[in-house]
Amino acid sequence: MDEDVLTTLKILIIGESGVGKSSLLLRFTDDTFDPELAATIGVDFKVKTISVDGNKAKLAIWDTAGQERFRTLTPSYYRGAQGVILVYDVTRRDTFVKLDNWLNELETYCTRNDIVKMLVGNKIDKENREVDRNEGLKFARKHSMLFIEASAKTCDGVQCAFEELVEKIIQTPGLWESESQNRGVKLSNKEEGYGGGACGGYCSML
Amino acid sequence: MAAEEKWNDWAWKPHSAADQAGDKDSCILLGQQLEEPGRFAYAALCGISLAWLFPEKEQSSFRIEFIEGLVKWLDLPDAVLSAMTAFASGLGGEGTETFAQILLKDPILKDNPVVITQDLVSFSLKDGYYDARARVLISHITWLLRIPLEELEALEESLLESLKEQKEEESETAEVSRKKKERRKKLKRYLLIGLATVGGGTVIGLTGGLAAPLVAAGAATIIGSAGAAALGSTAGIAIMASLFGAAGAGLTGYKMKKRVGAIEEFEFLPLTEGKQLHITIAITGWLCTGRYGSFTAPWSSMLQSSEQYCLAWESKYLMELGNALDSLLNGFVNMMAQEALKFTVLSGIVTALTWPASLLTVASVIDNPWGVCLHRSAEVGKHLAHILLSRQQGKRPVTLIGFSLGARVIYFCLQEMAQEKDSQGIIEDVVLLGAPVEGEAKYWKAITKVVSGRIINGFCRGDWLLGFVYRTSSVQLNVAGLQPVDLDDRRMVNVDLSSVVSGHLDYMKQMDTILKAVGIKTKECRLKEKGSARLFAPPAKKTPQAAGSEARGEESAVRDEDAADGGHWSWEPMDSPDSLDTSRDGARPCLSLPTGTP
Repeated sequence: MDEDVLTTLKILIIGESGVGKSSLLLRFTDDTFDPELAATIGVDFKVKTISVDGNKAKLAIWDTAGQERFRTLTPSYYRGAQGVILVYDVTRRDTFVKLDNWLNELETYCTRNDIVKMLVGNKIDKENREVDRNEGLKFARKHSMLFIEASAKTCDGVQCAFEELVEKIIQTPGLWESESQNRGVKLSNKEEGYGGGACGGYCSML
Repeated sequence: MAAEEKWNDWAWKPHSAADQAGDKDSCILLGQQLEEPGRFAYAALCGISLAWLFPEKEQSSFRIEFIEGLVKWLDLPDAVLSAMTAFASGLGGEGTETFAQILLKDPILKDNPVVITQDLVSFSLKDGYYDARARVLISHITWLLRIPLEELEALEESLLESLKEQKEEESETAEVSRKKKERRKKLKRYLLIGLATVGGGTVIGLTGGLAAPLVAAGAATIIGSAGAAALGSTAGIAIMASLFGAAGAGLTGYKMKKRVGAIEEFEFLPLTEGKQLHITIAITGWLCTGRYGSFTAPWSSMLQSSEQYCLAWESKYLMELGNALDSLLNGFVNMMAQEALKFTVLSGIVTALTWPASLLTVASVIDNPWGVCLHRSAEVGKHLAHILLSRQQGKRPVTLIGFSLGARVIYFCLQEMAQEKDSQGIIEDVVLLGAPVEGEAKYWKAITKVVSGRIINGFCRGDWLLGFVYRTSSVQLNVAGLQPVDLDDRRMVNVDLSSVVSGHLDYMKQMDTILKAVGIKTKECRLKEKGSARLFAPPAKKTPQAAGSEARGEESAVRDEDAADGGHWSWEPMDSPDSLDTSRDGARPCLSLPTGTP
């Protein structure tokens, strides 16, 4: 295992079927885009190490299947997650409306209450937008989530979404310190505050 | 037999499936009948369990291979591989309960979740190699799905049964199709493993004690079930021969061709008549004249597997030792002296070099035979290791159980195996009782590599004799047979037998109780379970025998009632003799089968 990795974080991606969860992940980990990506079976898993604010964090990302038939499986991934990315499709209002259900599920199955949540409005490259950016922002603020609009296709905002999330998690030491203490990493010097400016205005720290 | 028939009905669907079994397309594997989420949960549960059971680095290739094979077997898309590999590498272990719940709620599995066990057995056997790790995994999954563990054994037995029975029931059409198939495949491979053609069927002449009298007429037609049919479609004969030791003669046929090292005697004696997909080898610690004059005597009540062997080794020296032990405790040293000795030995005041002269008379009687046997048991253990490594027993899991020097044989066998390559997946469980070996965890660490299931160390703190005879080999009383082995591993189980064993000789005399205390199945508990499995069947005629067998050590009391013929039994480790007594009278209801045979 890499010596300089500060911690390993468990990140979960959830949202309705077809909103582009796997595409976002694929763009983030492999920097590719496949318009014909098949529906996820059960869950997909990828690891990526990113560096945020000088700290290296290894992300274990669980990309869940959005399809209804796999819905029964989802509760098993929530446990122990430090961050969750909630995705909706800006061209499909129904995926935005269903967000409430996802938040409910998150609350039901998540084992910690300080989990960091990030709302991502995907597919902003498309013309036929149905959900306004402000609506998303408002919803995110109401539920104290981070918010960003992104496009897996054009790469817009994808990197930022993950980086912001990780940064927020690292700023919340209670979330990951128990894990890192086992490896003998001191926490005290990682506490420096860091404003959310890195993402060129996409992110709203709330 | 009622239980077994039920089994055959739903589990193996003998006739209809058998007729078409030669045609692989017509076989729908039970695992493949599941919906995709069900299959996913099934594979995920296996992956997580693999990571939990075998987290060691050296096991990673087994974990990954197993899970990759399972994904293919279940016809899951390759896309799930990354998630499955993550599960098998120890990530996502939090989901076990959810996955188990999903499986238990699945419409296909709801009424008999045991099809998962069945499917896993078929999967594990498909390459003709029943890995001990696979069996441990199957037991674990079975447990997670809240299926009584006896179902697994019943399933293994019915697999064997159907192999034997269906040869006779083979229909003509099936026979024709089988022959065609066989011709196509060319029997070259089969011939290599010693195949004889008798009449219309193909018979593997596995003679000798260990090898099963299997009539393997193309496993595809024999094994009726869809799951097993797939097993059969890949050269069933080769599979079965491989499982049971293709050499034919197997363990009992094993003879030392030449003297190996200093070993003078080394032979396997069958303890039971049955056949099983896993075997147990018991190793006796010493012999004495009279009732315990034979190697098999202490094990008369054991029924861990319906195929059990006993290792006969160096009887001359073990007899000498036994008689020395006997005379030591019955006459040579009087009661008072024994108490003094006990106190002296156990207080730990004396070290090996400062024994009081008064004890030297004792030492002179025991030290020589003990020293000889101590040395020889190590040699025998190493030899046993090489026999197991060469798969004389077939490719199936082995459980080793021994007391006193027999436990030492096992210990050295495991140590030797740990130094060899490809030594994993052979040994399932080991039970060491009153073992005269070092008790430091660091020495025991190595053997976790070769044991897939549990390492049970049965010890007795008050065993002064062991402490005394072992004194020369170890300055401090750090003996496994006297104290728990402090090894941090899920395999390590320490059982304090102090309430059962009052002295070293009790290991032989109280074996029946000890076996129960460490969770090894005995005839008595099998009979009891059988009785409960037949609550609704014709009146259990076994009850009188079950009662009769309470006189433990009575060799022949239950011998004829070989409980191995497919009955259900339950595995319940019991902590103390007291609990044994209560359960004997009152536990019957709790052993009834809740599920699995609707």
